[in-house]
Amino acid sequence: MSPLHFAGRSLSRQPARALLGVIGVAVVGALLFDMLMLSRGLIVSFRDLLESTGFDVRVTATEALPGMGPAVAEAAATTEELSRLPELAMVVPVRFGAATVAARGGRTHEVAIIGSQTRRRGEWRLLEGADLADGAAGGRPDMVVNRTLAREQGLASGSIVRLASTLPGREFRVSGIVEFPFEATGEWMAGVTLRGFTHAFPTARRDEADLLLVASRPEAGPDAAVVAIRRARPDLHAFSIDEVLERLRHAEFSYFRQVSFVLATIASFFTLLLVTTLLTVSVNQRLGEVAALRALGFSRRRITLDLLAESALLVGGGGIAAVPLGLLLARGLDSILRQMPDLPSRLHFFVLEPRDLALHLAFLVLAALIAAAYPAILAARLPIAATLRRESIS
Amino acid sequence: MSAKAAIVEARGVGKVYPMPAGPVEALRDVSLTVEAGDYVAISGPSGCGKSTLLHLLGCVDTPTAGSLLFEGRPVRAMGEEERSRIRLRRIGFVFQRFYLLPMLTAWENVELVQSEAGMPAAERRARTRELLEYVGLGQRVGHLPSQLSGGEMQRVAIARALANRPGLVLADEPTGELDDETGEQIGDLFDRVNADGTTLVIVTHNLALAARARRRLAMRSGRLAASPAMARP
Amino acid sequence: MVRAPLLLLLPCLAAAAAGAARAAGPEGERLPEILVSRGLLRERRLAVGQVVALSADPRGAGARRFRIAGVYEPTPDPSRFTAKRLEARMHLPDLLALTAEPGEAGAADSVSAINIALQDASDAGAFARELGARAPGISVVRAAAGDDQHFVIIERFHLAISVVTMIGSTAFLLALMVIRADERREVAGLLRLLGLRRRRILLQALLEGLCIAAAGAVFGVLFAAATQGAVNAFFRWRYDTTLVFVRVTPAIAARCIAVALPLGVMAGLLASWTLLRRPVLDLLRR
Repeated sequence: MSPLHFAGRSLSRQPARALLGVIGVAVVGALLFDMLMLSRGLIVSFRDLLESTGFDVRVTATEALPGMGPAVAEAAATTEELSRLPELAMVVPVRFGAATVAARGGRTHEVAIIGSQTRRRGEWRLLEGADLADGAAGGRPDMVVNRTLAREQGLASGSIVRLASTLPGREFRVSGIVEFPFEATGEWMAGVTLRGFTHAFPTARRDEADLLLVASRPEAGPDAAVVAIRRARPDLHAFSIDEVLERLRHAEFSYFRQVSFVLATIASFFTLLLVTTLLTVSVNQRLGEVAALRALGFSRRRITLDLLAESALLVGGGGIAAVPLGLLLARGLDSILRQMPDLPSRLHFFVLEPRDLALHLAFLVLAALIAAAYPAILAARLPIAATLRRESIS
Repeated sequence: MSAKAAIVEARGVGKVYPMPAGPVEALRDVSLTVEAGDYVAISGPSGCGKSTLLHLLGCVDTPTAGSLLFEGRPVRAMGEEERSRIRLRRIGFVFQRFYLLPMLTAWENVELVQSEAGMPAAERRARTRELLEYVGLGQRVGHLPSQLSGGEMQRVAIARALANRPGLVLADEPTGELDDETGEQIGDLFDRVNADGTTLVIVTHNLALAARARRRLAMRSGRLAASPAMARP
Repeated sequence: MVRAPLLLLLPCLAAAAAGAARAAGPEGERLPEILVSRGLLRERRLAVGQVVALSADPRGAGARRFRIAGVYEPTPDPSRFTAKRLEARMHLPDLLALTAEPGEAGAADSVSAINIALQDASDAGAFARELGARAPGISVVRAAAGDDQHFVIIERFHLAISVVTMIGSTAFLLALMVIRADERREVAGLLRLLGLRRRRILLQALLEGLCIAAAGAVFGVLFAAATQGAVNAFFRWRYDTTLVFVRVTPAIAARCIAVALPLGVMAGLLASWTLLRRPVLDLLRR
């Protein structure tokens, strides 16, 4: 009888105990699996968002995050200068602003406005209508709006949007409905040309950009583009996506990494404790049997293998069930965390990577080994004669 | 009369257990030879060292003094792995408390040790059926120990002990948990086992069982009292 | 558009202060004063009394000199606790003078927000609507009582994690109780054989379960209380903040005990009941 078969029969002696052990491992294992997903989920998801724009380098005036620090002055000349670098394929200046529009009930509602060029890659994705065009028909520059703004204000292509934050209110013509990669749930967002931005914010300084989006040439790559920019304009701050993510990993996203580490540690401890306790108690309850098996000629190795197999069945059974359970739990936890204000609606905290499955499997193997270690030592080192004698007396 | 091969030879064997209150000498200066085909019964008061002697003979434990040879090989020089192999293939054990695995059927309990010894599946099946028929449980092969009586469980244990065709079967108080009538049945079975050529050493309080043995030895205070081999009436 | 948030000055400081004149102003020169955050003081190795140059331009153009009058601890912001708080505070006219574009009309009289404290806070909604209607072109919003939404979300997240952990722990607890009941199987069988009723034995199991659950719950709360200091110390060190991350309050302790006690008792009762349902002789059989 193979150790696995023997272990299965041993566990079936106490089905309630075995089932509870598997359930406990499954639940805690699901939490552990989720923590693996959380540890890098934000980074992976944010990378997807950044890459979806089609730009792999970002340039700001200082090391502050875009929109949080001073703008790049002489944006047009800077854009032109950087565009001439052979490593760069495209440079697009972007401006950020916040305006208000009249909303229902006599209130005003804030609208985030992005100013960019008409020639772009992926600052937004066109859903309906047409994209921005230069010019201002009837004194109204083009504007693209997101679905939330369009729905709340009843906008469609051709609609007029009047900003309430200036006197007189500046008007724009909606050319299309778009999806912004970084729009938050419920956020009202609009995109205009740089000229349109000046129309929306007449007191804003001209020829500035909060951010320069840069696409590197495929043959050069983002790292070479960053080096070229830093060499040409050492006064500017250029970041590749990797560098942005590295910074976020150590700063803004670090809390969730640490939470995931702490919870993963606790979950691992629980799993080990549970399985070790179950196996140790099981061994202690059948010391006589173990001694008899040893007397019958079962080697220490065989006894150890039997216990390892029991551990593998408990941990393996629970660990396998933990994967679908963990995915379900992750959806729930993700939906909770994504309710945080000002988070891009496409950002996810829990992202499944093959690495997570591999780590989960590695943990299962390690857990089965460690959990079986103490009871296996207990069983293998059992003094056969003394145990038989003690069991006979008792 | 041809000289029979000695299965076990003990010369001046002693066993001392270190205890917190001081060492305990469970066996002292025991000399005994068990030859092939012997039927030996060892009796004595509780705590006299009977089971200790049985464990030494069965390579479960090693002596702290004297020499012990199993089939000519010194036991003290053997490592635990080697003694395990000997116990699996050359020795069969029958315990007072049966020690059948409760989650395995009678069939599986007997088959288990054969599987561990590496016997091929077909041979195992044949041998298991043969043994269970031999002990009179041919109709109960699929029953769990909890579904068997004490006597039936001990029969299964005897079948298990014989599974790998051992040179020696050791039984420690095999009728200790059985009534007299059932004990008699077990005694009959042991007679058959020995008559079919298996060497038997039994430790027992049961005088009726001990009387069945050809050699009856008495132990007291860790020493073996010499007693002539007694032929069965 | 005026770039009012003080944080925008951080890069200015970074660009200018590092290389700017740090010598004290000449005797008698009255320089405008600023306060710097503790983080900024440490990060840039500044000192109270030191004179620094600030500029709103990343290249340092138009820099003005200020004397550091003191250090302040920024109000911890849970939604931004991972960010370094490199900040400075100055008088509004100084800020306006520093950030205004030369020749920019109205720059010296332009702010990004006006905070209003009402006599009666319950009027805030009505006030905001009325002001918004009377002054088109400005946005009037009620200040939230702290940034509660982040707290609420994080709390929900932690609660979800707690629920999952509890479910796993309950399975663990049940397994242990089943083991415990099984170990007492023969004793339970003997008591039943002697004539004790199931109810009597269950009561004993309940009392034992209560004692174990109470001891475990209290131990758990004490352990949490003992380790909260370490957790807070770590995160405060890690993020250089004065925020409290873990606080075991009497209410939380009471809630934990209120959950743990019934769980422990129920687990013990359930395990014992499944045992006592069996026939007496089954309990005594090996």
